[in-house]
Amino acid sequence: MTGGTVFDIGYQSYAGVREGRGRGRRAVFKDGVRIALGLGRGSRAKILPWLFIALLAGIGLIFALVAGAAERLAGPEAAAGMDLPSHSDYNGIASMIMFVFAALVGPELLCRDRKDGVINLYLVRPLTGTDYVVSRWAAFLVIMTAAAWLPQIILFLGLSMGAPLPMDYLAKHWLDVPRFLAAGLAMALYAATLALLTASFTSRRAYASVFLVGVFVITAPFTIGVSSEIGGTVGQWISMFNLTNIPVHVNDVIFGDISEVTSEAEARHLPEWVRVGWFFAWVFGTGGLLWWRYRRLAP
Amino acid sequence: MMLPTTGQALLSVEHLTKRYKGVVALDDVTFAITDGITGILGENGAGKSTVIKILLGLLQPTSGSATILGQSATDSVDVRARVGYMPEHDCLPSDVSAAEFLTHMGEVSGLPPDMARTRSADTLRHVGLFEERYRSIGGYSTGMKQRVKLCQALVHDPAFVFLDEPTAGLDPAGREEMLTLIRKTHREFGISVLFSSHLMADVERTCDRIIVLQGGHLVHTGEVADYIMETTTVFIEVDTNREELATALESRGVAVTAERGGLTVEGSDESVYDQVRDALVEAEAPLRRMAPRRRELTELFERESK
Repeated sequence: MTGGTVFDIGYQSYAGVREGRGRGRRAVFKDGVRIALGLGRGSRAKILPWLFIALLAGIGLIFALVAGAAERLAGPEAAAGMDLPSHSDYNGIASMIMFVFAALVGPELLCRDRKDGVINLYLVRPLTGTDYVVSRWAAFLVIMTAAAWLPQIILFLGLSMGAPLPMDYLAKHWLDVPRFLAAGLAMALYAATLALLTASFTSRRAYASVFLVGVFVITAPFTIGVSSEIGGTVGQWISMFNLTNIPVHVNDVIFGDISEVTSEAEARHLPEWVRVGWFFAWVFGTGGLLWWRYRRLAP
Repeated sequence: MMLPTTGQALLSVEHLTKRYKGVVALDDVTFAITDGITGILGENGAGKSTVIKILLGLLQPTSGSATILGQSATDSVDVRARVGYMPEHDCLPSDVSAAEFLTHMGEVSGLPPDMARTRSADTLRHVGLFEERYRSIGGYSTGMKQRVKLCQALVHDPAFVFLDEPTAGLDPAGREEMLTLIRKTHREFGISVLFSSHLMADVERTCDRIIVLQGGHLVHTGEVADYIMETTTVFIEVDTNREELATALESRGVAVTAERGGLTVEGSDESVYDQVRDALVEAEAPLRRMAPRRRELTELFERESK
C-alpha cells in the first residue's frame, strides 16, 4: 500500500482569458434555454415544457398518420379531394397551444430572477439590462421556434414518407418547408415577445401566466362577436385585436390560404400587407416595451 | 485591463454629488481607496448604497466623478468583470445547486465554461461549502447562503469586491465566520474589499480603513488603527475608594469623569501618570487596572451628532 499526502495549495488567482460581455450574454442565453426546458432542476420544472412539446409533436404526428393513411387507403386522387390536414392547418390548430405554452413557460425566464433577486447579480456583472433581456428573449424564442418547427418537420416527413412516390411529393411540396419555417418563426416571435413583456411587469410567474391566458381567452370571443356585429372596415379592425389570430393571419399570407381558425375572422378581408404590418407592429411594439422596461433597470 | 499597482488608488470618487427629487443622497464626497479592507460606515440613508451603486456604474452621479480600477465607473460595463458585489438582500435561486449557480455566475462574468466550473468548486472549498456544493441552495442555512453570496462575488477572481452588510441576519457564530472570511478575502486571496455596514464592531475588527458617511456627507476617512489607538484619556479602575481618588485627582487640577465602574482622566502624557500615582497614594485606593483608553468608532457618530 502506498501513502499519499494532500497539500492545500491555497487560493489560486485566475490569470486565464476573460471573454467579457459576449461570454456573459451567451451564459444568460444558455441559462434561459435550460430554465425554459427545466434542465438542471427538479422533475416538476420539466413537466410543463416537455408536456407541451410532446403535445405539439403528437399533433404533428397524428396529422402525418391521418394524411398518410388516407393516401394509402383511398388512393392519391381520392385523397387530393379530401380536406386532409396541411402545414397551414397545423399552425392554425397549434397556435392556441403555442400561446398557452408561452404563457405558462415564458414568464419563468424573467419572473424567477426578479423574485429571487438574482437579477441584482446579473446587473453588477459585465452585462447591461439590454444584454440580459435580449439574451433571455433569444433563449425563449429558440425554444418556441423549435416547438413550432418540430411538429411541422414530423408532418412533412410523414407526408413525404406516406406518399406513394415520396420523391414526387418532395418535388411538388418543397416550398412548404420555407413556408412552415417562416410561419413557425412568426408564431414563436409573437408568442415569446408577448409572454416576456407580460413577465416583465411582475415577479410572480402565476400572475403573468393567468393574465396572458386570460387575455388570449377573452379577446377571441369578444372581438369575434363585436366585429361580426358591426361589420365593415371597423369590424375588420376590431377583429385584428383578436390576439390569438395575429400570427395566424401571417400564416395565412405565407401559405396563401385561410386556415380553419381565421376562416370566420372579419380581418381576413383586410389586405395582406395590413395583416403582416399589424403583426410586425405588435412584435416590435411589445419587444420595444420589453427592452425599455429592462434598459435602465438597476438593483 | 491594466490594474492599478500597489499603493495606487483602486477606487476613487471626487466631489461626488447625487440628488434625487428634492433629496441630496451624496453631497460633494471625495475619497480614495487603496489595497486592503475598507469599511464604509453610516446609518440607514447615509449614502453608502448610493456610493456603491455609482461605483458599480448602476447610477449616474449628478456631478463629480467615480473611478474604479483606473476606469470611469459610469462609462464602462467591462470593468465589472474585475469587480465583485455581494448584495445585502436575498439574491440566490432556491432550486439550483451552489456549484451550478456559481459556475453560471462565473460564465456571466466572462470566464470560459470549464474555468468557471473549476473556480466554482475552488471558491466553495475556500468558504467551507465544498461538501455541500451539489445540494440545492434552498436547503442551506442562513449562514451557508451568506457564504454562497460571498462566493458569487469572488468566483471570477475580482480585483475588488463590494460587500453590502455581509453580516446582516447572522447569529454570533455565523457573523464571526463571515468576518473571518472577509479578512481571508484580502489577506489570503489578495482581493481588496469595500465593506459597507452599520455595525461598528464588525468594521473595527475587520477593516484597515474607514469611510464614515452621515446624511450624504463624508464625516471621516482614515486608518482604523490610527483612530482607535489615538489616546487622549487614561482609564483607571480601583477596588475601593473611587470617590476619594476622584477628589484627589481634582484637587491636582486633573479633569476626571466617572464611567463604566472606573474613572477616565483627560491627558495621556507622563505628568498625568505621576499625578494619578500620587492621587492613588493619597486616596489609599488599591489600583486594579490603568491603561490608555482606546477610542471606539461609535464616538465618531456621537461627535458628529453633537
